Amino acid sequence: MTEALLQAILSGLAVGGAYALVALGFSITFTTTKTLNFSHGEFVSAGAFIGMSALFLVLGLPVTSTTFGQALPGSGAQLLALAAALGIMGLLGWLLYAIGVRPFAGRPGMAWVMSTLGFGVILQSIGLAIWGPKPVVVPGPLGDAVIRVLGVGVRPQELLTLGVAVVIMIGFDFVMNKTMVGKAMRAVAANGNVASLMGINTNAVMIGAFVISSALAGLSGFLLAPIAQASLFMGLTVGLKGFSGAMIGGLSNPRGCVIGGFVLGVLESLVNLWQAQWREVAVFALVILVLAFRPTGLFGKKLVEKV
Amino acid sequence: MKRSQHLVGVVLVAAGLIGVTSLFGNDYYLRIVFMMCVYYLCAAGMNVLVGYAGQKSLGQAGLFAAGAYAVALLTTRTEMNPWLALLLAAAISGVCGVLIALPSLRVKGPYLAMVTLAFGIVVEKLVGEWTEVFGGAQGIYGIKALTWNDQPLTTEQWVWLAIIFCAVTHLLLRNLLQGRFGRALQSLQADEIASSSVGVRVYRAKVIAFVIAAVTCGIAGALVAQQNQYINSDFITFHLSIFVLLLVLFGGAGSQYGPLVGTVVLTVIDAALSRWPSAQHFLYGFLLLFALYVMPGGVTGLLSKWFRRSADEPETSNASAAPTRIGPEGQGGELLVVKGVTKNFGGVKPAQDVSFRLQRGHIHALIGPNGAGKSTMINMLTGLIDPTEGSIQFLGQEVSGRPVHSICCMGMGRTFQNLRLFADLSVLDNVMLGRHSRMTNGFIASLLALPGARKQEAATRARALQLLDLVGLLHLAHHPAGSLPYGLQRRVELARALATEPQLLLLDEPAAGLNPQETAELGQLLLRIGKCGVSILMVEHHMDLVMSISHHVIVLDYGIKIAEGKPAEVQANPRVVEAYLGVDEPEEEAYAAAA
Repeated sequence: MTEALLQAILSGLAVGGAYALVALGFSITFTTTKTLNFSHGEFVSAGAFIGMSALFLVLGLPVTSTTFGQALPGSGAQLLALAAALGIMGLLGWLLYAIGVRPFAGRPGMAWVMSTLGFGVILQSIGLAIWGPKPVVVPGPLGDAVIRVLGVGVRPQELLTLGVAVVIMIGFDFVMNKTMVGKAMRAVAANGNVASLMGINTNAVMIGAFVISSALAGLSGFLLAPIAQASLFMGLTVGLKGFSGAMIGGLSNPRGCVIGGFVLGVLESLVNLWQAQWREVAVFALVILVLAFRPTGLFGKKLVEKV
Repeated sequence: MKRSQHLVGVVLVAAGLIGVTSLFGNDYYLRIVFMMCVYYLCAAGMNVLVGYAGQKSLGQAGLFAAGAYAVALLTTRTEMNPWLALLLAAAISGVCGVLIALPSLRVKGPYLAMVTLAFGIVVEKLVGEWTEVFGGAQGIYGIKALTWNDQPLTTEQWVWLAIIFCAVTHLLLRNLLQGRFGRALQSLQADEIASSSVGVRVYRAKVIAFVIAAVTCGIAGALVAQQNQYINSDFITFHLSIFVLLLVLFGGAGSQYGPLVGTVVLTVIDAALSRWPSAQHFLYGFLLLFALYVMPGGVTGLLSKWFRRSADEPETSNASAAPTRIGPEGQGGELLVVKGVTKNFGGVKPAQDVSFRLQRGHIHALIGPNGAGKSTMINMLTGLIDPTEGSIQFLGQEVSGRPVHSICCMGMGRTFQNLRLFADLSVLDNVMLGRHSRMTNGFIASLLALPGARKQEAATRARALQLLDLVGLLHLAHHPAGSLPYGLQRRVELARALATEPQLLLLDEPAAGLNPQETAELGQLLLRIGKCGVSILMVEHHMDLVMSISHHVIVLDYGIKIAEGKPAEVQANPRVVEAYLGVDEPEEEAYAAAA
């Protein structure tokens, strides 16, 4: 029993790491531009598929293939794939900002909700046209041999996901709080107009926010693909849970978002032990509960509207 | 268009459609028309939510599922009459609508959109994975179809029924949206704070909008399930939610015929592309991404721009010569008693143990330097902010802790320092909204356009015109409020506040941004309003105005009341002079020298 519990917590933490990356992505765009990428989930899938295509290319398989067969990409290929996923996702983030967010940001009516949603639908339909709806098994960079930790079997990819997530969070925290770039981002978040008066290029910061946010989504998809198979539909739930994590932690607080993501991963994993179909319901119920008592999340700042 | 003309028109169109479809004799086309009707039902309700209340819902598939599966389970597990099951399914989806409206009490904008999206996904997962109850991808067979004379409906009859449903829905929603409720929903889309300050119960209105969208969507789902006699989890996808939203946005959110146009165009495209699902999805994505950019008002918005009618004829004055009576008769007596009110925002204390009394029939002024806590006081009186300590009694009743709209109903109207008009609504609608809390026609009466509701509507319109005449804006009644110059917008806001029939009118810097001429006119107007039986408390920086029209002046400085009394007394008060101009204190220079 304790073993099963421990197992669930460990794999929950691993998936939670991916959720935390997504949550952080939401937080970054929300604080700097007051907008969210509603196709963040599709970006997660896109990250997984771009990484996968890069692996196909390195192995000499056609991009449109849907199975690796016996081929096993080496670590060099994996690193290359990672770089491709991050780079292309960053570009996609910039494109999204340019055509989907910038024309609408700051205007009433939240038209950006629709445009970002539309961007994601387009990405997904392109993916469907190329690869079809079937999920693809993607080999992980560290192989599939189960490692035993405290008597519990863990897949190396899960440990990798957890590790990478933690490293990224700490790095991000350092950049935001200790460097000039981070100060500029926080200044734009606090008040874009004043920040631009101080000579900060707010447009560049906002583009940067979308690039980073999308790259994080891509990273999360790239890490999740070997754990859960790459699928064009995996993103929607991952994105949603990432957002739930962000809401629980508080969208305005990056550290809170990360904690929220991990909490959600573990909760989901524990509920899964008991009844799989209640997984989503439990997550949703938790979000509603948190929103009912603390609308800005557990660690979020209270918003006061000036009258 | 007159109501009766419209009714006849709708009946004729519906009858025409029924006639045409009976000539089809082709199941494929009949099926397309049926789906068109089903989507129209979804879109018509969704338009109330998205177009009027301004709440984005991305989870309509969940409500569609609620209706469809309710009917499926009710008719397969029990021996229930299919018609009754349809009715119950509508009720059940209405309850689900309340469920997703609940978070809207706490969160706004993108959060709410995400919560509705989550609802849709949860339902999708639930019907897909909880196979014991919902059958998953296997689905539920043997759903009982609706019957007529104990015979299941034929495909043609299904289409006719769906057309009738659409016509009825259109008529009912039109009744609702063209009166009190439609205005209230539009106002909360524009500005929730202003909306509650004119007496709209914002949360209730939102819940109603959610329920309407849920019920129509649930009926649509139930019709599909009953017509197919089968439902499975493949029907309930995120793309359905997006499609429903797209119907409204593409057609034109907030316009009466937008959903209809959107439904007809998109269902036809959908049917034409049904062989290439990824092309279908690509198109939806493309439309979502660019449609709002190219045509923010949807297709109908675009069309109405081309066929804009010449501006409506200006209203002419029909007000009686006698001065308008707004508040109750009589003078004297205490209207408002503020006792020991304190407010802390962390370290900032905009009110410290402030007490004062306002007399009925007087014009009071609240003055003080910037940051003295004047606006905070007004916000506490109207319930936007709760005081940390102390009591505020209006007409002998405690005010603090009450919701904003109920304080408005008690008879306190206000204007805002930074204008909060409903910019897209006409001047007349803005003022009519002021009377929202004084109208008594309920939801059902409005939905069915009962004579009582129509009478109320006419009375409100007449009253609003009267008030516009009072502030001299009658000729601009049909212009969008946001298009007026600043000074006139201030007067619109004043008329809107007067329409709430206040006994006490709170004005937050009514003369801000006005030139000397306009300020003098405002002074005359306020005196006239005072004669109509409305007591006034105004925050103002124009001392000429304050000193010339007010009976009683209260002075705040850093949250402390430093003086009150007749204008002349206050002007002579050394503490007031000190607060405004500072003093030449010898110690201060000594301090500076020492430093």
